[in-house]
Amino acid sequence: MLDDVSVRFGPTTVLSDVSLRVAPGAVVGVAGRNGVGKTTLLGVIATLVPITGGRGSVLGQELGTPGSRAVRPRIGWSGHEPALYDHLTLRENLHLVADLACLDRSMADEALDRVGLGAAGHRRAGESSNGMRRRTDLASILMRRPELLCLDEAHAGLDEDADAIIDALVELTRTAGGAVVMVSHDAERLRADCDEVHSLDPGAA
Amino acid sequence: MSRFWRQAFAIARRDLVVEGRSRETVAVVVPFAAAAVFVVPFATDALDVRLATLAFPVYWLVGLLFGMQVALRQTAVETTAQRRLLTLLGVDPVARFTGRVVSGSALILVVLAITAPLVFLFYDPDPIPRLWPMVGVLVLFAAGLAMLSTLAGDVAAGIATRTSLAPLLVIPVSVPLLLGAAQSLESLVRGRTTLPWVLTLVVADLALAVTGVVTARSLEESNT
Amino acid sequence: MKRTLPRAVLGTTALLSLATGLWLAFTSSPDVFQADYVRIMYVHVPGSWLAFLAFGVTALASAGWLVTKRMAFDRIAEASAEIGVLFTAVSLFTGMLWGYPVWGTFWDWGDPRMASTALMFFVYLGYLALRRSIPDPTARARRSAILGLIAVVQVPLVYFSVTLWRSLHQGMTVRPDGIAMDGSMVAALLVNLAAFSVLYIYLMVERVRLARLEAEASIAETELAGQAVAKPNLEGLS
Repeated sequence: MLDDVSVRFGPTTVLSDVSLRVAPGAVVGVAGRNGVGKTTLLGVIATLVPITGGRGSVLGQELGTPGSRAVRPRIGWSGHEPALYDHLTLRENLHLVADLACLDRSMADEALDRVGLGAAGHRRAGESSNGMRRRTDLASILMRRPELLCLDEAHAGLDEDADAIIDALVELTRTAGGAVVMVSHDAERLRADCDEVHSLDPGAA
Repeated sequence: MSRFWRQAFAIARRDLVVEGRSRETVAVVVPFAAAAVFVVPFATDALDVRLATLAFPVYWLVGLLFGMQVALRQTAVETTAQRRLLTLLGVDPVARFTGRVVSGSALILVVLAITAPLVFLFYDPDPIPRLWPMVGVLVLFAAGLAMLSTLAGDVAAGIATRTSLAPLLVIPVSVPLLLGAAQSLESLVRGRTTLPWVLTLVVADLALAVTGVVTARSLEESNT
Repeated sequence: MKRTLPRAVLGTTALLSLATGLWLAFTSSPDVFQADYVRIMYVHVPGSWLAFLAFGVTALASAGWLVTKRMAFDRIAEASAEIGVLFTAVSLFTGMLWGYPVWGTFWDWGDPRMASTALMFFVYLGYLALRRSIPDPTARARRSAILGLIAVVQVPLVYFSVTLWRSLHQGMTVRPDGIAMDGSMVAALLVNLAAFSVLYIYLMVERVRLARLEAEASIAETELAGQAVAKPNLEGLS
């Protein structure tokens, strides 16, 4: 829940008086042109970007408090830049996520199989195609089952099969009572995927 | 294993595996350090016996500069997406600091271990009567430098000039480490007690550890 | 079978000639002043010569790549540089072992040949480090070729260092006015030179072959990558 939230980086105001409500079980889209602050808004929702004005809460915790840091493991993020280490294999990247999230490594192996990369897990991330890297990124979210899923231009550059993985993740999160926030410049796509779509204009709520 | 240690070991293992496969320390930084040890005499009158007195200062300076380089590298190449992932996974910032210090210390010790025999070969310094106390000094120096470099890397993370800013932050603050290590070695060679200088290293390391632990969370917040 | 037989013959020839060279090294006359310490020469000198040859081949292959852009030249340049670095290390190490009993020190800054050889070693370590740092084959070949042509300047500097600067090092033994060495020593030296040359050729053949196989495997891996990606299995997710 965001109430008149503003974000300023130095002299630049990126977000100004933005309000948003995301209910449990909802899939909310935020559309806007490039550079309008969509990723920053998503960063605020994921508790990663501090707000400089207004108030907000995520998963029941007030933004900027120690409680909001505590809910981070319940948040998942997928964007066009996968968070992989090039010299580790796809499987090792997922094992690393499992170790850091204190999950069983077998969950990582299962997630890799689910996204269709079970036979490619030995390939180094730096030598894999962008599609394989993105699928691995999605596998790490599948493994963690976050309550709040943040998707930043997630469908960009993906094939049919990878799109299906994202759709499955969205449905999984929704049916578990979680929420999904998607940002994209493609308003039409958002209208097809989301329950409601908001528009983010520069300097406007 | 507790959550903290599982995360710390995962971070350290990640760094060492990445280094093992990229081999930047072994194949690039160490030869660079060896070349630096080798070319210093060209800047002096190498036939003069004073070259032996340069041996240990050159060793510690090369260890400081190139050790710092290997320890800073991990922060310098970390992407926004990778930092975001670690934060969202709820990795304890102190566990992250600990893991990076462990891997950084190991890599710095590799640099120190390989340049040591080269210094003896090219500079012919006085022999060290007992080597085993130097092991402790090297470990303390490496750990302190790893902590300092990790802190500096986190302070400078995401800044455009970080590759020159971070070393600038490390060098002045490294003086207690440099003094403690260099004077420990000199004392050992001259047959004097090393205790005051080893204690200097221990105190410096403790101060850096406390600083790292206390600032870990706020540095993480500023880098997400 | 057809392809492995010449390689096996080459390998066997290298082994036999090295064994012969070693036997001659131990049975040739000792030196008047250095006694048996001179026998290190039969490894040290061929090691130095072959390093020069290897780096010369790297430079020629580098020029070949720049003119033709054929990757075979790049593989030759890389293989020869690796072997050259190995032989330079052998030369430095044996030089230090030889220097200690004869000069009383493993290393002496008064000898420009030792210093220039060590500089050459570091330069080509840098060449290999450069190659390792560039993932794209064409970019790697181009930059390495340029460095390979620049770095070869070291070779004549090292070779002529004993005459350009007054030095502890042995002066040139093979001169236009004759060879300043006993006949049995000359024979042992020449056989070891030949043996090391055969070894160089054998190592080159194997290393270039390995590089070619690695390149082919990399292409095959890329083609297979798509096949390793299966349809996602999203049924039963809960």
